[in-house]
Amino acid sequence: RLFCKWGLHTGGAWKLLSGLGSGQTQVDDPQVDDVAYWCHPVDVHFATKGLQGWPKLHLQVWHQDGLGRSEVLGYGFCHVPATPGCHALACVTWRPRGTWWERLSQRFVGGGPQLRSPEAVAASAADRFRLRTEAAGTVHLQLGVILRHFGRYGVEC
Amino acid sequence: MSSSEESQMIIMKEFLDEDPAQVEMLRRTLTARRHRRQKTLPEAAGPPEPRAEERSRASMAAAPGAPRDLPPGPSTLRTDFAEFSVRERMREKLKAAKSKAEISLLQEDPSPRPRCLKSVKERKTEVRLDEASDNDKSREMQEEESHLSSKTKFRDSVKKLKQKSTFQNDFPSAEEAYNFFTFSFDPEPENVKARARKRNELNEEEEAEEECVETHEGEEEEEEMDEDVRLVKDDDLFVIGQTAEDFLVMKPADCESYSEQLKKEKEFLFTPSMLAVPASEKIPRNLQPRYLEDEGLYTGERPFVSQSNQNILENRILRQEQGKEWFGDDGRVLALPNPIKQSSTRPPVFLLEEGVAPELETVYQKAIKMTAANQCLVGPGDVQGLFQLDIDISGLIFTHHPCFSREHVLAAKLAQLYDQYLARKQKNLTKLLTDKLHALRNAVQCTIDGGGPGTPVAQQSIPEYKIEIRQTRRLRDAEQEKDRMLLKTIIKVWKQIKSLRDFQQFTNTPMKLYLRKEEVDQRLVEKEYEAEIQAEIHELLEEYMEEYERKMEEYKIELQEWKSWKKAQKSKKKKKKKDVHEEESLEDCDLGEERVKPIPPKMANSLEIEQQVREKADNCRRKPGEPALIPELILSGSITPTELCPRAEVLRREDVKKRSAFIKVLFNSKEVSRTVTRPISSDFRVHFGQIFNLQIFNWPESLKLQIFETMGMSSTTLLAEVFIPVPETTILTGNAPIEEIEFSSNQRVMLDHEGVGSGVSFSFEADGSNKMTLMTSGKVSNSVSWAVGEKGIPLIPPVSQQNTGIPSTLKNTDAIASIGTSGLTDMKKLAKWAAEAKLDPNDPNNAALMQLIMVTTSGEAHVPDFFRLEQLQQEFNFVSDEEFNRSKRFRLLQLRNGEVAEFRNYKQVPLHEREISEKIFQEYDKRLQERDVIDSKNYLDAHRAVVASYLQKVRESVINRFLTAKHHFLLSDLVNEEEMPSLGSEGPGILGLSLFKLAEPKRPLKPRRKERKKVTAQNLSDGDIKLLVNIVRAYDIPVRKQVMSKLHQPSKSSRSFNELFAASPSAQSPADSPDWAFNQVLVRPFVEVSFQRTVCRTTTAEGPNPNWNEELELPFRAPNGDYSTHSLQSVKDEIFINVFDEVLLDAVEDDHERGNGICTRVERRWLGCVKIPFTTVYFQARIDGTFKVNIPPVLLGYSKEKNLGIERGYDSVRNLSEGSYITLFITIEPQLIPGEPVREKFDTQEDEKLLQAAEKYEAECISMFPSRQCLTTVIDLSGKTVFITRYIKPLNPPQELLDAVPNSSQTAAELVARYVALIPFLPDSVSFAGICDLWSTSDQFLYLLAGDEEEHAVLLCNYFLGMGKKAWLIIGNAIPEGPTAYVLTLEQSQYVIWNPSTGCFYGQYDTFCPLQNVYCLISCDNIWFNMQEYDSPVRINFDISRTKHWKSFFSRSLPYPGLHSVQPEELVYQHSDKAAAVELQARIEKILKDKIMEWRPRHLTRWNRYCTSTLRNFLPLLEQNQGKNVEDDHQAELQKQLGDYRVSGFPIHMPFSEVRPLIEAVHSTGVHTIDISNVEFALAVYIHAYPQNILSVWIYVASLVRNR
Repeated sequence: RLFCKWGLHTGGAWKLLSGLGSGQTQVDDPQVDDVAYWCHPVDVHFATKGLQGWPKLHLQVWHQDGLGRSEVLGYGFCHVPATPGCHALACVTWRPRGTWWERLSQRFVGGGPQLRSPEAVAASAADRFRLRTEAAGTVHLQLGVILRHFGRYGVEC
Repeated sequence: MSSSEESQMIIMKEFLDEDPAQVEMLRRTLTARRHRRQKTLPEAAGPPEPRAEERSRASMAAAPGAPRDLPPGPSTLRTDFAEFSVRERMREKLKAAKSKAEISLLQEDPSPRPRCLKSVKERKTEVRLDEASDNDKSREMQEEESHLSSKTKFRDSVKKLKQKSTFQNDFPSAEEAYNFFTFSFDPEPENVKARARKRNELNEEEEAEEECVETHEGEEEEEEMDEDVRLVKDDDLFVIGQTAEDFLVMKPADCESYSEQLKKEKEFLFTPSMLAVPASEKIPRNLQPRYLEDEGLYTGERPFVSQSNQNILENRILRQEQGKEWFGDDGRVLALPNPIKQSSTRPPVFLLEEGVAPELETVYQKAIKMTAANQCLVGPGDVQGLFQLDIDISGLIFTHHPCFSREHVLAAKLAQLYDQYLARKQKNLTKLLTDKLHALRNAVQCTIDGGGPGTPVAQQSIPEYKIEIRQTRRLRDAEQEKDRMLLKTIIKVWKQIKSLRDFQQFTNTPMKLYLRKEEVDQRLVEKEYEAEIQAEIHELLEEYMEEYERKMEEYKIELQEWKSWKKAQKSKKKKKKKDVHEEESLEDCDLGEERVKPIPPKMANSLEIEQQVREKADNCRRKPGEPALIPELILSGSITPTELCPRAEVLRREDVKKRSAFIKVLFNSKEVSRTVTRPISSDFRVHFGQIFNLQIFNWPESLKLQIFETMGMSSTTLLAEVFIPVPETTILTGNAPIEEIEFSSNQRVMLDHEGVGSGVSFSFEADGSNKMTLMTSGKVSNSVSWAVGEKGIPLIPPVSQQNTGIPSTLKNTDAIASIGTSGLTDMKKLAKWAAEAKLDPNDPNNAALMQLIMVTTSGEAHVPDFFRLEQLQQEFNFVSDEEFNRSKRFRLLQLRNGEVAEFRNYKQVPLHEREISEKIFQEYDKRLQERDVIDSKNYLDAHRAVVASYLQKVRESVINRFLTAKHHFLLSDLVNEEEMPSLGSEGPGILGLSLFKLAEPKRPLKPRRKERKKVTAQNLSDGDIKLLVNIVRAYDIPVRKQVMSKLHQPSKSSRSFNELFAASPSAQSPADSPDWAFNQVLVRPFVEVSFQRTVCRTTTAEGPNPNWNEELELPFRAPNGDYSTHSLQSVKDEIFINVFDEVLLDAVEDDHERGNGICTRVERRWLGCVKIPFTTVYFQARIDGTFKVNIPPVLLGYSKEKNLGIERGYDSVRNLSEGSYITLFITIEPQLIPGEPVREKFDTQEDEKLLQAAEKYEAECISMFPSRQCLTTVIDLSGKTVFITRYIKPLNPPQELLDAVPNSSQTAAELVARYVALIPFLPDSVSFAGICDLWSTSDQFLYLLAGDEEEHAVLLCNYFLGMGKKAWLIIGNAIPEGPTAYVLTLEQSQYVIWNPSTGCFYGQYDTFCPLQNVYCLISCDNIWFNMQEYDSPVRINFDISRTKHWKSFFSRSLPYPGLHSVQPEELVYQHSDKAAAVELQARIEKILKDKIMEWRPRHLTRWNRYCTSTLRNFLPLLEQNQGKNVEDDHQAELQKQLGDYRVSGFPIHMPFSEVRPLIEAVHSTGVHTIDISNVEFALAVYIHAYPQNILSVWIYVASLVRNR
């Protein structure tokens, strides 16, 4: 039973015109396959005055167990494609792998190691190598990107 | 070498034409020499001996050749001889050479030996070769056959090979070879054949020629030789095969001794020394080495190189030409900064035990349960959930208290002044400033004296200094003055105290003031004083001079301008004469800018200045003669014991003793703890010294101290509230300073003893003059800090606690960059630190920091409230911020997203900027600007304007509060799931009940309305929604009066067509009963429904009890096209259902035209209306019932006669009430889901137990009767939950109303109900769109003058209680309001239900009572829930004592706790302002008249003044009688006065809130629609003012048509 929290991170030049910058999907309880379908629409409208800080999509996959408790199953992030059109993205996720004790308790009582500041790690991948992580599935996204007036400022997409 | 080559060349030229033998010789020497040259090249300093030998040999060879020069000829003899001789010579020569070589070899060093050897070898091999060529015929044959060139090459190569192979041969071998050579020599001549020899010679000749050429070439291209050498290598094999073992010679390994090697190396190697190079050599002469670092410039860190290596390098460079280029100014080798990064790019090996970067820390978290709104500080499962605030309340000092005696007041003042004095003294600003002034003056003097004005720096700095001096002086003067004033006041107060003590003959306070004189050297001080004054005068003069100059400058410019202008004027005037046309316009503008001639500035007078300075000095400085006074305050005075005091004072002291104080600590406005109660000591200090540890769970929003004072045993009064700031996270328990927070209260206390009281004026003077009023005030000393945990961990909650899924990042920046963001508080500190640490400003590492400091220090007091995170961003921006923000489209999008009211439902933002008009924003901007400006234009009444703006604000805040809550969706909002068809289920089951449905009759006799599918509001658009109004029938429509028919009879032309129509059938069938015809004429009503200005009407029916049964469809348009529940709830439109009478009038005015055709005019007359707000329809989904038509009390020309003869069936019901009724069914198609009320908990001040009980009670009730609403708690205006019974409390109605009818309680009640009903009605669901019911208390209600049914009901109920009636509040369901509140009273064992919003009352068994269901009853101390089977008021029993029928909230198990009411003790009514009412009346009248004219744009609107005045006189009468029983007289009166007019009109009665509803009401009557040409109008407005500014508005509208 998975759900996904998502958030869009941008640089200072970007301005959110409408839509939500972050959100959370429903909880899907996959019964047939190993795939959870969320079909969560993301509708955001940005205006920018520079290319820096191109929006990034941060994802956190959470799991809701039978008791209604939630735990993190994966972190991941991907850039919003820079070319207009419909893109199918696959965002790989990972999660911190705790000590054996943590893993043990995770197995029996749920919960699990979480990042203290997920956005910091997710934002800069440089330091992440310090973490011991394990892979945690991929999130598939279909993003339709529409750009406007980029050509006017000499950006070719 | 070159010389030897030359000689060679010469020799060769000579030899060119010599005989082959010589040529051969030459060749040999040449080759040998060539070899030698090759060898000698590398050895620059080779030993000269071999060369010399060679040379000698060559010369030897050449010398004998030259004299024996013979012309070349092919004679055999000669050749023989020649050959022989050659050989001979050769032999000799060889011998000689050998011997020579031997000698030389023996003599020589080992080093040149190889050279020598080689030469020997060469010789030998050459000789041998010749031999070989002679001996080996076969080889010669071969040679002959082979090409010459190859042959020569071959030979050459062989030669060389030999050389090589025999390289290591020793000398003896050479001798052997020689022997061998000589041995084979002897037999040869005999064996040799001449021919062969000849041929051989020929060959040799050719060879020689060839050789010559070759040598020539060889000379030129030496490289070829090298190639040859290389070529030969390949032929090693056969050479080896050819060479015998004899060539191999053992030879010892030769070695050079190390010293020798060194010696040799020394000659061609250069070893730089390791000694340091003196600096003078490294830098250009005449220059001192500069050390940039010492000069403060940034130099990067040099990479580490060992000193010796550096020295070596330097020495090496120095030897080079231009070596000095390599050295920098400091005499060191230029070097780039160390490229090695401090931190390794490649991170260290990761270890598990190693500390992980903080942002990477993982925390094991238990699986959390999600809560919808997490207002708690931390999640429940969080480990770190313990935070502690320490609040230390040490004491309380009153600076004023009601029990203060006069002396205390003065003492407090003195103490305050003294504190101030001490503080000032500690700062000692005067001294500081004086010092600064001196320093500055010195500086100026120095620059002038020392540097002189020549240097630009000094020149620049002097004015700066001067400005500084001026400022400092000004400051110092101000400070000095303040000091002096303070001192003076201190002394004055002390004197006052002393006189007071003398006067009252006792002392209360231990204060004593000593003034200590400080002895000073008189003369010195005087001198200083004078000097100071002189300096000041000097400076001032300078200043004035400067100013003067500046002014002069200005003046000059101005004068210039003025002159030029003057000239222009003159020229203009000349022009003016020329063209007269322009004259006027020119003059206009000229007059506007008539200029004044500038006045030259005054020169400052030095005497005046001196005067000024001296005066000032006198004012603010000690005079030179005066001693310095230092006050000292001592608390050592004795207080007069109580026994000695007068009685009043004794009383005061006793009173003080009785008093004590304590402090409550409120955290987030909840009391968490309180201090102990401590008595107030005689000096009005209270010491608590308590520390409270608050372990908090919620985020601290407010910290409050409430200071209470208790008097004796009983009363506790709240003195004041003090808000304490929540400490910053850096303040921990150890280091928190104790702060004194001042408080004061506006409490008014008067005491009967010596205490001065507070808020009461008193005076110190005996005559009572000079009064002063003091308020209770004081200081609380306390400190608040965050506690420190066991391990020294501060128990501080994390600063940013965000509830949202992923908060935005600010954190991924480095530490320095985040300084600015973290709070900006320690900016100054940072700058200071940077200054102390002497950070290198050029160091790129510090760049960010330095920039920051620059910003902070340059702006001095200005601390930027931002920090640029992306410094480079600006350079890469496409557009500037302004342009970005200017974009209208973006703004529109943002506003829409932000759900700003105007743009909330704006659909389809245009794609291009140009398509967005500026107008869109105008309204919004205007609103933003005028938020606080009260616009009284629309309200005509200042008070109402204020209220309206207040309401607007409340509304906004509430809306903002609930906007977020609105985004909570339910499953049904998002998922549209069809119910699964199942067996036996209700609804759309296939097999279940629907099977039986097949058997149902196709057209059932009593069709039931099917439940329609509900549609969620989100996917709707304009035109989808329709309002269906089914008008069934009406009862008791007023009928036209017979007077009318009487009236129209004389004037035939304008007879009602109706009459005609009625008459014609009667003419046809006069046999019918005249009754029938009579009934027909009565009225022809039709119904017009107007909604959102769309109008629909039914057909015309006839008679007073018409039956239409028609369905009208009206389109519904939501505001801004938004169909969300939110906006639908806020639709303010009302459905007007108007009943009209259709009157047909003959349009033809002339009698004689009648015959041609029938031309009639349809005229309609308004009879009455029903108004239903849309929200009611929306919330109710359908409205089905019979409504009372709101018929004006007077309908001219109509009467409500009852014709009993027609419909008897309704008599029994109808006779109970009067008025007309209409049966309606209204619904919306498709059905909309009404919005759910917001399910949110509000904070409350109710007892927790009570709330729990209420919840339980509600749950119980609802489980039994799910459809019945049970109300126990409501939300008040501030958004808090309040128990409902608190609203009910007896209140006094306005005395005026009671006085009006002193004897009859019945009429008084009616009057009160009417009064309540006059308060404008404003449903909560409209104002606080779809949020919830907000209940305001009665005084709020009366202040706001607008409210919901609940407020009306509460107020009415309270009034009834106040009038001594038994009254309850009914929570129930009524039409058309929906869930509402009514009032129930018990009068003479009969229950009466009052409708508070109309003022009507009904008996319990009245069928036309709009109240349909009764859910619960509320009194001031209990709630009863209806437990009976039925809830219709007709069918239930209102006896609340029966527990079976009514379930009470407070019972024996839960007794009534005595909740005190939220209502005020008493309502204070303002007397209404009659004048304002009259004014308002006039204005409304004017507005309405304008409006009516506006609505009739194509016709002339005439006003009949006479009629208007009549109507105006009549209106107050109506008000007095509340519209009853006046009709007939009025009618008669009007008739009398306006005899020849046909009048149709009516008064409208409304409560007044705004003008708009009035206009709307007038419009809805459609008076203006009459378009008879000669119509006249009359309009009168009367406003009756009730107390508290409640206005009852009467509008009388009439249209008059003159009868002819």
